[in-house]
Amino acid sequence: MTRQEKRNLRNGLLFASPYIAGFLMFTLYPIAASFYYSFCQYNVVRPPVWIGLENYHALFFEDPRFWKSLYNTLYFTGLSVPLSLAFSIGLAMLLNRKIRGMGVYRTIFFLPTIVPIVASSVLWLWVLNPDSGLINGMLRQIGIEGPGWIASEHWAKPSLVLMSLWSVGGAMVIFLAGLAEVPQTLYEAADIDGAGRWTKFRHVTLPMLTPVILFNLVMGLINSLQYFTQVYVMTGGKGTPVDSTMFYPLYLYRNSFYYLRMGYASAMAWLLFLVILAATLALLASSKRWVHYHGE
Amino acid sequence: MKTILIWALAFGCVGGTFALLWPRQSVSEAERRAVEEGRVVVTYWDRHQGHEHEMRRALIDEFNESQNEIYVRAISVGYNSIMEKLLTSIAGGAPPDICSLDDIMSIQLAKQGCLMPLDPFMEGEPELAADKYFEFARKAVTADGHVWAVPTTTDAYCLLWNKAAFRAAGLDPERPPRTFTELHEYAERLTIRDGNTLTQVGFIPWQPWDMSGMWSLLFGGKLYDEKTGLAVCGDDPGMLRMMRWQQSFGIDPGGGDNPPYAMDPEAISSFTRGLGAYMSANNPFYSGKIAMTAEGEWQVTFIPKYAPNLDWGVAPLPMPEGVEPTVMGWPCVADGIPRGARHPEAAWKFVKWFNTPRPGGGTSPVSDYCYAIHNICPRKEDAVQKRFVGNPKFKVFVDELFRRKVVSLPVMPLTQFYMEELERQRERVVFRKTTAEEALREIETNLNKELVKLRRFGEAGG
Repeated sequence: MTRQEKRNLRNGLLFASPYIAGFLMFTLYPIAASFYYSFCQYNVVRPPVWIGLENYHALFFEDPRFWKSLYNTLYFTGLSVPLSLAFSIGLAMLLNRKIRGMGVYRTIFFLPTIVPIVASSVLWLWVLNPDSGLINGMLRQIGIEGPGWIASEHWAKPSLVLMSLWSVGGAMVIFLAGLAEVPQTLYEAADIDGAGRWTKFRHVTLPMLTPVILFNLVMGLINSLQYFTQVYVMTGGKGTPVDSTMFYPLYLYRNSFYYLRMGYASAMAWLLFLVILAATLALLASSKRWVHYHGE
Repeated sequence: MKTILIWALAFGCVGGTFALLWPRQSVSEAERRAVEEGRVVVTYWDRHQGHEHEMRRALIDEFNESQNEIYVRAISVGYNSIMEKLLTSIAGGAPPDICSLDDIMSIQLAKQGCLMPLDPFMEGEPELAADKYFEFARKAVTADGHVWAVPTTTDAYCLLWNKAAFRAAGLDPERPPRTFTELHEYAERLTIRDGNTLTQVGFIPWQPWDMSGMWSLLFGGKLYDEKTGLAVCGDDPGMLRMMRWQQSFGIDPGGGDNPPYAMDPEAISSFTRGLGAYMSANNPFYSGKIAMTAEGEWQVTFIPKYAPNLDWGVAPLPMPEGVEPTVMGWPCVADGIPRGARHPEAAWKFVKWFNTPRPGGGTSPVSDYCYAIHNICPRKEDAVQKRFVGNPKFKVFVDELFRRKVVSLPVMPLTQFYMEELERQRERVVFRKTTAEEALREIETNLNKELVKLRRFGEAGG
């Protein structure tokens, strides 16, 4: 290393030091500590006591609510991620046409994304209100008695999925960028071969979008496995009715701050981390078979 | 030269950012002056928000002006996050000097060693002696032979009914139900259905919130054995009756003989979800959607404020048949001093000032506070001040605490967890996800598991 390189390294580290210090103190240390606490009985105010695998054992074998919350979260993820993907691709396709005022339409569909989650959750409480809500009001106009939505044990999770579709703007914008990347020459070639709209979408657009789909799939998966704020706001942190919206992160939160079982909650956090890690790795591994990168 | 300039600029930026973001020591002009005068600054975390906190603050201002040794800085932390913030502050070694909490939280904290015992301070303070307080209120902040907090407000629940709804249903608007049989009969007549949708409801035991704890006590149920330190709801006949009674309000889809007042659980859920905000004119009791409700004394000020035209009455809660009539003394809000507080003596001086009559025969600040927010004073002589019992409706609530036998939740480290488990299982029972027997046994198991763990690590953790 030359003197100049050393100096550069020193200066670089120095300038990055606020971030490095913050990362070490506020991210790496808490993560490491939570791993340790997951093997402890710990309630914040008393020093942690090592109990080995007891928390994990209790989660797996003694806590039906853990399984229920995991099921709820997986159910939500399984429904919301693919639907959001389809929905945002569809929107992006629609908004990729050359029509006057397209900028306005794109803005309109992106707007829900920048509404703060708490505000939009409260808004949706009204939209989904079984008695005086917008949706049931409209259904009533055409003579249908709508379900209880968020108040119904069976409709609560689908309601939340519906709500999640409202804020696909972020993914939509990324898909729009992806669509702009698709080389026109491919469409021209397809035209010459006599391909119709659907064939072009299926055999040109979609394959060219696969890198973007992978990205949105991974991000969507991570986000919905950590789905918390909306359900916290909409059910007052209770996961009602009858635990049908008791999502994994909500149960984790309740364990830590309502029941003061920090060790137990840490164990839950690490299990969630493993689930997310495994799902992401599996997706990445499978991507070799279905993701096409430009020039490959 | 250039390098020096860049460095200077970099330091300037960082320094400037820090200077801008650095937490200010004094939050107000008054506090800055107090610090200059050399007063001790005591931080007070209030569980209340809005007008309730404003009233507290007005009284704290009075204290700050009444002497020149102590300055109390009041911060409204709010009900939802106070436990979370308090725990982190205690763990971080920087707790407030005083904190207002629900008594059940105080005991939970005391059992974890987070609060200072206050009885050494209380010795020789006749105004704060145990017999000055309602017995249940003092009991609620006492554990392991120590007093851990000073109760500032408490509540009692009665039956409120909407006279217009009674008239519309052909009931005598001046005669509330007196027994459970009557309550059920009235509930049925006051419930209006449109197909499967409920448009008006006579009575729901868990409206405006779950009260399984109170109903348990009123049914004579036994929640906890203080000798063994374990939950005992599992096969207690009173608890079972309570659970079955609440269940009876939801129709059993599997048939069976549902009482006439029973409603479809999903319909109840939809109905309650559709109700307006509690502290607004859309409160379902104000808007006539719920005809009878179990509610606390604060409604005496809430109703004139939000629903001035409501024609309503208040009477003691009907009791289940065959049980001695009781009233529940609800958890009090109480002021405690966290362990590790920097100025416990100064904090105590404020607590004492707040909770005892003003020198020269005035009222106590705490009673002014209760009056402003219309809660019942936990000090008996405060509770019967003319300004409280002069209001005939408020008097009904206060009288209950003197007339009936007062029952209250057990003093144990996990009361809140207990109440949440009761609420959760009550919901499952109503939705027929489980039976009342099974639910109670599950609560007992869950609770005792935690209690045993707490004991095991309570000792190990020092």
